[in-house]
Amino acid sequence: MLSPVTNTQDPTGSFCSSPGAIEQVRYGCSLGALASVIAIPGAIPITHCGPGCATKQFHALSGINAYQGGEFHVPSTNLGNQEVIFGGADRLDELIASTLKVMEADLFVVQTGCIPGLVGDDVGSVVRKYQKRGVPIVVAETSGYRGNNFTGHETVIRAIIDQFVDAGDAPLQHGLVNVWSLLPYQNPFWRGDLSEIRRILEGIGLQVNILFGPASAGVAEWRAIPRAQFNLVLSPWLGLSTAQHLEELYGQPFLHEPTIPIGAKATSAFLRRVVEFAGLDRARAEAFIAQEEKEHYIYLRDFACFYAGSTSQYRLPSQAVVISESAYSLAVASFLVEQLGLNPGPFVISENPPEELRETIQKQYRALAEHSGAEAVFEQDGKRIHDIVRATDFTGELPIVFGSTWEAALADEIGAPLVEIGYPCTDEVVLSRAYVGYRGALQLIERTYTTVVRASTMA
Amino acid sequence: MALNLKTPQVETRDQRLGTITQWDGNAGQLVKDSAFTFGCSKGCENGGRRLCEQSTPFAQASMCAEHIAVTNATIIQDSVVVQHSPIGCAASQSFTARYYRDLAARRGWKLEDPKSICTNLGEQDMVFGGVARLEDTIRDAYERHKPRVIFVATSCATGIIGDDVDGAAKRVEDEIGIPVVTLHCEGFKSKHWSSGWDVIEHGILRRLVPEPPRKQPDLINVIHLGGPDVFSPLLNPLGLRVNLVMGGNTLERLAQMSEAAATVTMCFVLSYLATGLEQQFGVPEVRAPLPYGLDATDNWLRDIARLTGTSDKVEAVIASERARVAPELARLRKALTGKRGFVAAGAAFAHGLLADLRELGVTVDDAFSFHHDPTTDSGDPQQDSLGHLVDAWGDIPNYTVSPDQHFQAHAALLRAKPDFVICRHTGTLAVLAGRMGIPVLPIFYSNDGLGYEGLLTIGRAILRVLPRKRFYEDVAAHSSFPYQPWWLAETDPYAPILEPA
Repeated sequence: MLSPVTNTQDPTGSFCSSPGAIEQVRYGCSLGALASVIAIPGAIPITHCGPGCATKQFHALSGINAYQGGEFHVPSTNLGNQEVIFGGADRLDELIASTLKVMEADLFVVQTGCIPGLVGDDVGSVVRKYQKRGVPIVVAETSGYRGNNFTGHETVIRAIIDQFVDAGDAPLQHGLVNVWSLLPYQNPFWRGDLSEIRRILEGIGLQVNILFGPASAGVAEWRAIPRAQFNLVLSPWLGLSTAQHLEELYGQPFLHEPTIPIGAKATSAFLRRVVEFAGLDRARAEAFIAQEEKEHYIYLRDFACFYAGSTSQYRLPSQAVVISESAYSLAVASFLVEQLGLNPGPFVISENPPEELRETIQKQYRALAEHSGAEAVFEQDGKRIHDIVRATDFTGELPIVFGSTWEAALADEIGAPLVEIGYPCTDEVVLSRAYVGYRGALQLIERTYTTVVRASTMA
Repeated sequence: MALNLKTPQVETRDQRLGTITQWDGNAGQLVKDSAFTFGCSKGCENGGRRLCEQSTPFAQASMCAEHIAVTNATIIQDSVVVQHSPIGCAASQSFTARYYRDLAARRGWKLEDPKSICTNLGEQDMVFGGVARLEDTIRDAYERHKPRVIFVATSCATGIIGDDVDGAAKRVEDEIGIPVVTLHCEGFKSKHWSSGWDVIEHGILRRLVPEPPRKQPDLINVIHLGGPDVFSPLLNPLGLRVNLVMGGNTLERLAQMSEAAATVTMCFVLSYLATGLEQQFGVPEVRAPLPYGLDATDNWLRDIARLTGTSDKVEAVIASERARVAPELARLRKALTGKRGFVAAGAAFAHGLLADLRELGVTVDDAFSFHHDPTTDSGDPQQDSLGHLVDAWGDIPNYTVSPDQHFQAHAALLRAKPDFVICRHTGTLAVLAGRMGIPVLPIFYSNDGLGYEGLLTIGRAILRVLPRKRFYEDVAAHSSFPYQPWWLAETDPYAPILEPA
């Protein structure tokens, strides 16, 4: 058995833990957060790392992960023998200077990889020189051995807030919210989902800094962060430390919604909590919710024909197996169990959330379907994840798997259809599809039951 | 110079061959300079000068040797690859799996995910070393999958902290009784990712090819980059059986390499293995220029026939193949004549595609090669694929060497104004061309342009993508690149960027 390193955290806390060897990798390294920078319109990462590092991270997270594409023309020092031996700070200095000559951006984020961390380059002082000149540039320490692209994402965000965003004497803007939610590129549906989240928050009367993706106004939104009335953390844990940091910095309160809502029931309840928290105009919000629900439930009414009757020849699944990063695992599991009436199967969280937040996440699962026994497992190794699913008793049930491409063979083995919802996602092409909110739920139902019908008709 | 197969680390391409990654000029000059540097004792009067690599202070993310070595180890059947690295290096697992499944479907192998495990080193391992974790992971890889070989690949991090990877591999090998082959592929060690080919080929030569129990006079090794077998249809009529190696293999195929009558490679960038087989096992390497275009293919077949004693059959094969492709080739030439092409690929493969395009009647004055090897491991001038191209088809006025740099490719494409781009390694160039409004033909399986049939394959593929101009022009009209205006107008990929200090 691959076992986690026993001393995962040394008492001084100066070393990051590594959870042990992993087969079927489900995330990138800290440097992979360059995808988060690319996700900010107008921002460009400058990578100080080995020659393949940046390319491999972006290709893994974007290139073949739902074929998302994106702006990849990332400056890199492509460190070689010479810099490993003599240090790479001078090379970084030269790269930044030439980047400023050649490229144009509203914000540059210098990210380090393993090599400068190990050879001890003083990257901070190189970058500070440019900051003093007024260049919009920040530095984030994202050595690959220090964590994954989730923690790298938080490091990058922290760098931008602390080194670039200026609180100044910007007036507080009532009704403006910063949204911290899905990890760009890691989640194949983040673009469509963030658009939907923006749409529904605007629907209840908020102005939104969505911060990433096509629905974002880019760096201007980041500059506006200090003016926001509050922060909304819409994920089980990612973004929580950012919100806490902003609370300390600017006194901004935050609302933590661990479950990203999918479907009318969850979305309306979520929106009402936001209205309450932000003190928004209830009448206006209710009017929006009513209109959204009206439309939504017409679709559900019509889908009920399929769900209830016209489908008796198909094997409609009864039990959900969900394997994904926690944000989607929880969101999808909640929707399937609470709103579509499936039984909970094994739920796996695959991105190594911080230990101290795991119990909080677990509570959300335990609350599902009036204590139906739902429980999440935290596991990152593909072999062990699949062993957990194989060991499940599916007697009398028809399982369906929501997971990554790694689950294709497993799903076959247990005779279940597979709906890809997480990284890696190599058998789906995803553009603006969303699975969250009101509209996303409909698309998730479409994809799910198309997969189910195909499994019957193409077999 | 003989290859050193005694040490676990391969000498890098930069050291062995003088590989460069940055150059711009006409191809004829590059040929002269390469020959001057390596071929004629640095003194002959061929009009060349010592090959001088250009430089630029700006650079964009490239690829690394580890990626190539690990990918090609992973797709060997019955293997498990242990990546001794932080988690990021193993991000390639997903696309290697996709690649393997595609290969498996094309070649009729069992459809399954290839096996690779990352030791997932963290910060404390950087301080205290990761050897214990590595040994445990190798054992576990064996327990989980009962493979017949385990590859252990290093990373930049493990290279720097100095883990004794060979020692660990040897200890566990003695315990579990299957070969544990180390691949030293730290990305920082070589300027070019193609060094990764040497790493995996070195590992195979050292550990997986036995002394031949017998020779098989009708067996010919064909070294390729992956994809369908386009070689058997050409070589079976000569009475030869193809041992298709690299790009996914059984261990039996690899072991048989030493039994073969000869080795031919479809790309001299992969020639480390062929040279090693000749040096170590006396399997001769076919050195004729690569089979791109009709005449080169004729001569390539003749050279193979000569080495395998099948010269009596070869002329009939040539005649029949030429006759077979003639009508379709005429149709393609008619459709393509006057079109301007642009080729972007790695060295020898780029040269092959350039020959194909010219054979098809396409005008091609611009090429973009990801690296340049002034010589090959055999040192035989016959393998000077760029020299052969210039001799046979004339000069390439704008020949850029660049490690897939987006900003340089932008300038080169602006200079070339092609009607289409044909490229391999779809990292930068494919989407760049598309977004500049230029139809692009990406080549994943690089056997597509080989031999007589390859001309038809490539010609038809170009005609399929040309109409996509309608889509790309629409995209181009609505997109921009984040470069300063002066660079957006620049047509010299090596235009000075910073004033010299």
